[in-house]
Amino acid sequence: MAEVKALTKKEEEIRRLIKAEIPWERVGPTPMPEIPDLRPWDMRLLKTYKPWYAPFCDLCCLCTYGKCDLTENRRGACGLNIETQQARLILLACLMGCSAHAAHAGHILEHLIEKHGPDKRINLGTFIEVEAPNIRTVTGLKPETLGDLKTVIEYVYKEITHLLDSTNSGQEGSYLDYESKALHAGMLDHVAMEVADIAQIVGFNFPTSVADTPLVDMGWNSVDKSKPVILLVGHNPATSCTLIDYLRENGLYDKIEVAGICCTALETTRYSDRAKIVGPLSRQLFFIRTGIADVILTDEQCIRTDMPIEADKVGSRVIACVDKVMYGLDDATDWGTEEIVKQMVEEKKHFAILDTHKAAEVAAKVALEIAPQRRKEWLTEEEAMETAKKCTNCGMCEMVCPNLFSIGDGITEGAKGNFDLIRQQFNLCIGCGKCEQECPNHVPIFKIMQVAASKETWKIRAGRGAIMDTEIRNVGAPITLGTIPGVVAFVGCSNYPDIEDVADMVDEFARRKYIVVLTGCAAMVAGMKKDKDGKTVYEKYPPDFDAGGVVNVGSCVANSHITGAAIKIANIFAALPLRANYEVMADYVLNRVGACGVAWGAMSQKAAAIGTGCNRLGVPVILGPHSSKYRRLYLSRKEEDDWRVMDARKREIVDSGEPSPEHLAYVCETKEKAMVMIPKLCIRKNDTPQGRAIKLNHYISLYKKYMGGGLPEDLHLFIRRDPDIPLVYKKEVREHLKQIGWKPKEPVGLPTLIGTYPSKVPLDAVIH
Amino acid sequence: MAVIPFHRVNVMTGIKAARVIEDPSQYADFIQKAKRPLLVLGPLLSQWSLDGKLLIEYALEIAKAANIPICATAQVKGKLTELGVKPDSVYDAVEIVNALKDPDWRGVRKEGNHDLVLFFGIRSDLEEQCLSVLKHFAFTHLKTMTFDKYYFPNANYSLPNFRKDKQWKAFLESLIDDLKKGG
Repeated sequence: MAEVKALTKKEEEIRRLIKAEIPWERVGPTPMPEIPDLRPWDMRLLKTYKPWYAPFCDLCCLCTYGKCDLTENRRGACGLNIETQQARLILLACLMGCSAHAAHAGHILEHLIEKHGPDKRINLGTFIEVEAPNIRTVTGLKPETLGDLKTVIEYVYKEITHLLDSTNSGQEGSYLDYESKALHAGMLDHVAMEVADIAQIVGFNFPTSVADTPLVDMGWNSVDKSKPVILLVGHNPATSCTLIDYLRENGLYDKIEVAGICCTALETTRYSDRAKIVGPLSRQLFFIRTGIADVILTDEQCIRTDMPIEADKVGSRVIACVDKVMYGLDDATDWGTEEIVKQMVEEKKHFAILDTHKAAEVAAKVALEIAPQRRKEWLTEEEAMETAKKCTNCGMCEMVCPNLFSIGDGITEGAKGNFDLIRQQFNLCIGCGKCEQECPNHVPIFKIMQVAASKETWKIRAGRGAIMDTEIRNVGAPITLGTIPGVVAFVGCSNYPDIEDVADMVDEFARRKYIVVLTGCAAMVAGMKKDKDGKTVYEKYPPDFDAGGVVNVGSCVANSHITGAAIKIANIFAALPLRANYEVMADYVLNRVGACGVAWGAMSQKAAAIGTGCNRLGVPVILGPHSSKYRRLYLSRKEEDDWRVMDARKREIVDSGEPSPEHLAYVCETKEKAMVMIPKLCIRKNDTPQGRAIKLNHYISLYKKYMGGGLPEDLHLFIRRDPDIPLVYKKEVREHLKQIGWKPKEPVGLPTLIGTYPSKVPLDAVIH
Repeated sequence: MAVIPFHRVNVMTGIKAARVIEDPSQYADFIQKAKRPLLVLGPLLSQWSLDGKLLIEYALEIAKAANIPICATAQVKGKLTELGVKPDSVYDAVEIVNALKDPDWRGVRKEGNHDLVLFFGIRSDLEEQCLSVLKHFAFTHLKTMTFDKYYFPNANYSLPNFRKDKQWKAFLESLIDDLKKGG
């Protein structure tokens, strides 16, 4: 009895927190879900999409019982086996990522509540009524103020603690339960990201309810080197927006150049279209070593951990602005501005300054002082040739290259005066600098790259935040029926096999009238290639969330708007209630919304969390070949697995025999393969014959284009009846089907997993 | 002394590392003793060449000499078609590995799962992951082997880190000769 009473109190507390008395929708079955609440859904997903583990190592080294050998079915001293250990590490990765976004959200929220107060209203503009689809779906709260967002982020913090607790030695013993927890962390990540971006949009007045945001300049050569330059690196725009304000208020807006790398750059261009984007994460070390930045302001996430050391090499000064990254520097937050400036200018010191206003003022003053001393000359081709002659092409650089290429070959060619190869290699370089560190002859590889690197500049559309409800109403039907063949989201970092891959993929799918959405570094690199008319994809395609649109939603935290759009399709178009109704939303997305994420350059643990959050919501994710190093995928075996679903119209379980979507987390070794996998992962059981024929038309034509002809080996699995066959390939496909003895099958009227596993959700809940 | 993989991203932390085989006849023996070997071909075989001969041609000679079925990954099927060869199966690297994990899988020729899997031409960090999967989850029913130029610690049998292409070429040519003789 005591337990029941305690539970009731907990439920009452949750209802208080989510303001259950406000009847905007009836509260669904899982308000503010805890670990067990969505576990049945996870287990159902994991039954079809089984974890695929490539263990990091043979051992567990995490406690003093060990090291424990986990090979050949051995268990560690605590009883853990290798699968569970790998799942535990995945959960840890997802928690690192989730906590990075949650702490970012918490910090920005504190900053903005300080600035505007907790009652600052959330208003995302005329065209966005469902302002927080992830928050509403997961927690059941409709956030109306910044203060409400604080309630949400406190829920996320609490869940992170419980999840992290489970990774302590002697806790969870099932890999499936660790996966369920990782999926929970992934879902929370999208909630945290949504909190962060809504707060930023509201608090900084970022664009919202608009598609046609400004086109801004990008590329390291877009930075005006004749002015003092302040470089922003990281993700948190609190300091960068304060800096812009300071420059505007003090008549310095035209006198100081502000540029950014990684997501802070994207955020700053949402605040000032004069700010420049140097490029993605992979250009960080390269740009810092140019010495163009007079002052570097770091905030958090994806910033070099050796920033002060690198800055010292070129005479830049560093200000660490967020407590997560203080580099061992003196905390000058409470010092007088003039004293800090004096020491930075005269003694070349770096400082941590956790007060954004002070950091902005110091940065501007120091940049003005030291810019005249900045080196103005660059290595000439002749000098680069001479320097390159030190290279003996010993291969040490290739050994340590994460992208596995031989920069030594490029340098050797450079020594002969041919910079073509190194120019190509610059596109492969992820900017880690390990090659230079390893070089026994101390060849300054990055300096030589400066000579070869493209000095081109590009245009990127500034991030626009959430997808508008009006857009969802327009595309809801064609997406769920399949006549818009899919929504493809290019997300995440820049750990690419080739920096041009993303632009090529965006172009291919926008041309084919998919809806293409982008975030973070992927959004940047999509714009770093021009067509024969000199246009980037942002200039070539419309910015609307519609067929053939190319939509930059913003930074990493804007990934929540992508999952949010999928939820909105279920809620706004299909009129399914979302409030605390996660299973119904995820089931709808999995079975009916043809969306696919592509984390081609996934790098940090945040990418693991983002991707895993997409997976729980039923969105499959494709990884690039060296982005799969968290070493867990979710794969089905298409012809062996159980593809039974509930046909909610007939109220009976039917065997669809159709592996759609085939996988939830997948890795493609090449861009060519990804081009073929993307259309396949946009296939859903709900497609109409017309929609399916359109999707298969792309699947077949891309297969022919990139796989060297013929028909996909598994094509027959996706053809239910003759009308599914695309007109242009009718004859060829019919002959193929006849040869292999294909038999038609009934399409599923209203496919759902609800009713195929134990769940509190009744079948009627998915019928709209 | 432990062999360090050429690509440092593949350095293994562990206790069970591949046996380095430098003698092609030993490799040939392993292949010939296998009941149901499988050759998994990666897209780099269409890019790499030794003295102007594409590595995929070496791979096909190995397959032919020992009657080994081929699994074409990524876009390899296109190149094979160009060369007039129909692969026995088409799967991506992670897909074939996923199937191979299952001892009850019937294999690409539907004759039962494979007992020796030979990897060739997949980018090394992904290949190393595939080998890790099989090492940990398929050790009861199959062994793995690599033909790439460098050492792969998660395989059962691997070539050493060849410093020079000519060493690699000599190994492959000698292996093909041995397999032909054995056949």
